[in-house]
Amino acid sequence: MTGVAAPLLDVRQLEVVYHDVATAVQGISIEVAPGSIVAMIGTNGAGKTTTLRAVSGFLPAEDVAVTDGVISFGGQSLRGLLPHQISRLGVVLVPEREKLFQTLTVAENLDFNLTRKRQPIRDAVFEYFPRLAERQKQIAGYLSGGEKQMLAIGMALVCEPRLLLVDELSLGLAPIVTSEIMTILQSINRNLGLAMLIVEQNAAAALRIASFGYVLENGRVVFKGEAEKLLMHQDMREFYLGDSKAGSYRNIRQYTRKRRWWG
Amino acid sequence: MELSVSILALGSTYALLAAGIVVIYKASRVVNFAHGELAIVGAYVFHSAGFLTGTSLTGLSLVATIAIAAAGSALFGILVYFALMRRLLGRPTFVAAMVTIGLAIILKAAIVVFFKSRSVGIPIGRQPLYNFAGGGRITWIELISILVCIATFAALAVFFQYTRLGRQFRGAAENPLLAAQRQVNINLILALAWSLAVFSAALAGVLFGSRSMLSPQSTIIGLSGLTAALVGGLDSLRGAAVGGLLVAAATYLTARLISPTLAETVPFLILLVVMSWRPWGLFGTVEELNRV
Amino acid sequence: MSSQSPYLLVSYAQTNRVLPEPYQRVVVAVIVAALLCLPAFSGDYFLHLMNLCSIAVIGAVGINLLTGYCGQLSLGQASFMAIGAFTTAILAQRYGLPFLVAIPASCCAGAAVGFVVGLPALRFRGIYLAITTLAMHYAIIYVLTNYQAVVGPSASAGITVPAPSLGGFALTSERGWFYALLIIAAPVVIFGINLARSYIGRAWVAIRDRDISAETSGINVPRYKLLAFTISAALAALAGSLGAYFTTVVTVEEYTLELAIVYLAMIIVGGMGSVTGSVLGAVFITLLPFAVERISEALPWQLGTTAFGIQEAAIGVAIIGFLLFEPDGLIEIYRRVATYFERWPFRYHEIKPGGAR
Repeated sequence: MTGVAAPLLDVRQLEVVYHDVATAVQGISIEVAPGSIVAMIGTNGAGKTTTLRAVSGFLPAEDVAVTDGVISFGGQSLRGLLPHQISRLGVVLVPEREKLFQTLTVAENLDFNLTRKRQPIRDAVFEYFPRLAERQKQIAGYLSGGEKQMLAIGMALVCEPRLLLVDELSLGLAPIVTSEIMTILQSINRNLGLAMLIVEQNAAAALRIASFGYVLENGRVVFKGEAEKLLMHQDMREFYLGDSKAGSYRNIRQYTRKRRWWG
Repeated sequence: MELSVSILALGSTYALLAAGIVVIYKASRVVNFAHGELAIVGAYVFHSAGFLTGTSLTGLSLVATIAIAAAGSALFGILVYFALMRRLLGRPTFVAAMVTIGLAIILKAAIVVFFKSRSVGIPIGRQPLYNFAGGGRITWIELISILVCIATFAALAVFFQYTRLGRQFRGAAENPLLAAQRQVNINLILALAWSLAVFSAALAGVLFGSRSMLSPQSTIIGLSGLTAALVGGLDSLRGAAVGGLLVAAATYLTARLISPTLAETVPFLILLVVMSWRPWGLFGTVEELNRV
Repeated sequence: MSSQSPYLLVSYAQTNRVLPEPYQRVVVAVIVAALLCLPAFSGDYFLHLMNLCSIAVIGAVGINLLTGYCGQLSLGQASFMAIGAFTTAILAQRYGLPFLVAIPASCCAGAAVGFVVGLPALRFRGIYLAITTLAMHYAIIYVLTNYQAVVGPSASAGITVPAPSLGGFALTSERGWFYALLIIAAPVVIFGINLARSYIGRAWVAIRDRDISAETSGINVPRYKLLAFTISAALAALAGSLGAYFTTVVTVEEYTLELAIVYLAMIIVGGMGSVTGSVLGAVFITLLPFAVERISEALPWQLGTTAFGIQEAAIGVAIIGFLLFEPDGLIEIYRRVATYFERWPFRYHEIKPGGAR
């Protein structure tokens, strides 16, 4: 697995049910070793975002419930805790939508949780994201998509996280911006030793900075392994990384082409 | 001159009421229909507290009365939040608004029960302070009303703009889930909002009761406060101040120049005009309309 | 028992039945029989209460169609009832027209006013709509107050309405009123139920749940919103008109904002979005003050004016209590019990479509 040391985040057999009828997550087990970047990839509806939300207590409606499983962070169970309690323990989520306060300025967003102890981290945010430094007085709602994502990550950093959960940061971003932010995340991880759990649809980008990866499908983990191995794996390449072993599409469609008597 | 003083004094009462409504609306998108009742209950409690500390209401007994009423109203706001409004989180906001209507009914009945529907007045500062050249005068209480209003608005503005808690308040108002994830306890924010609102309502009620007689029917000032808040914009404190002045001016001038009975309907007429012409108020954010 | 499941519906007529289960038909038959025989077993006081309930039922069905089904939060109920009452009073007292003319005319007047009040609904939703209807309520009441001051014998005495009469036979007894109101209220309830089951009702529910999606689905949202306001106001005017005949005097002071809230309380307690819920809620809220009065009289200690306060507060407590603990109203309690027995021995687990809309 990822190491002999006890994992920082240990999710076992998690089960999340929507409206008492639809099971979004069926028995997922995920581990995040301290100081490592773990990627969760999969298509839409695989249960990635739901898992992140379950871990961070960010389940908005009372109709979504964690019905089974263990969520343990540094030995402490997170189930049943309120979002602000989980956040204070050090599990900080950068959500997919609604990731910052649009009506506040950039500076106010970053100062949202500022204490004297956190001032150095807050200043460090501008080193990681120099573009934000120029826009401190600007209303956050008017930033570009990439800048918003940077600000969201910056806000999360000011909360002194021990584990950063990033939900689909590449959504709506140009590929070059995505890779820029991913690189910055990697350097944050190296400098601060901050563990991260990244949920991504852009499997290639995520696996490039992660050390370990889980592939989710229909609410289950169908594949896991070290990131380099995932990048090399044939099935992974075909299904998620856009590389097909067949030469032309005609051969791929063998699986789905309707059988006709002439071949 | 006396005219403008009276308008300013009345306007400060309405502005304080509107401020309370705006604070709750900013924090939770709930329109508090019980604000007038809260104000009058606060005034009655103040009056009764005055009896407890000695009937003179000057000096030390006045300070004690103010302390009791202030603490009591703040605590009552917290109580209202935790007992009632907290359970409505996640439900559509008009449900919460209807609960406040229910609360208004209960409070009005409580006034009748506990204070026996007497008309009472709060005898503070009725003495004239200064006589103007034109023959008008300003009383202590009118000056106090205006000063208290200005002080309250200044304090609220500073709080929201420059303090960390105020920032968290504004953030939580916009996006409660994200604020919770950023280590803000939403319950505390909302309880604080309700506490501030009930406190300012009681303040407005006391100032009102010092200038006019209190009775269970006085709760109608809640409608003027709501109108003032709507005129200014339900999510704008600046608007609350301006709205309060406008409604007070319209009401007072109508009563003086046209007829007192028409003056009772002035808030509603203003409501009609505002709703038809500019429903989000003078300073409110336009998108509020589509949020509800 | 045949091998076919009773829950398997095989024809369109079957799906359209109002009372699909046999036990429901029995219950309705029993209720109808009981209502018809009621006057034989009760005194005038009880019949008077029942008559008040009948009038309230008509108004409650109206506002439930508007607020419960169509989702348009309206505080104008009292003003619509006032329009109906005043139209009746004017036509009956001033022009001596019979009730067969006055009542429909009042409904038309209510419908017209409802249409006008409904126009802002095309712009606003939720609280802003409620406040707009509130403003219009006050405008209407202001006009009627001035009218009453001018026309009535004195500013607050109101207008007296003669008892409705057909031929030489005038309706004055509680028993007579009971049957008359039953003959009017029952079709109104059936009308409401059918309206809710029709394409109009479905359009309303679509508008309530998400009007943008309703519009893109091809529903003419303005038309249905105005239709809701018109029908609701017509029913409220009908209730007001009947109330005018029943109490024989019309004063504008009884049509206060509190009355509009009382009707909202009826549908909150009974169940928003359910016509049978309106009936339950109307009966509950109408009888509530009397029940509180009886209870406080029965208590061993003297309450004095506190009793009056408790009566006033009771409706606030009912509103808050139901909104907090049983937001879908009395009808939901009935549904839970009924489905428990229907599905027994299987457990019935309700799927609720999300807490927040």
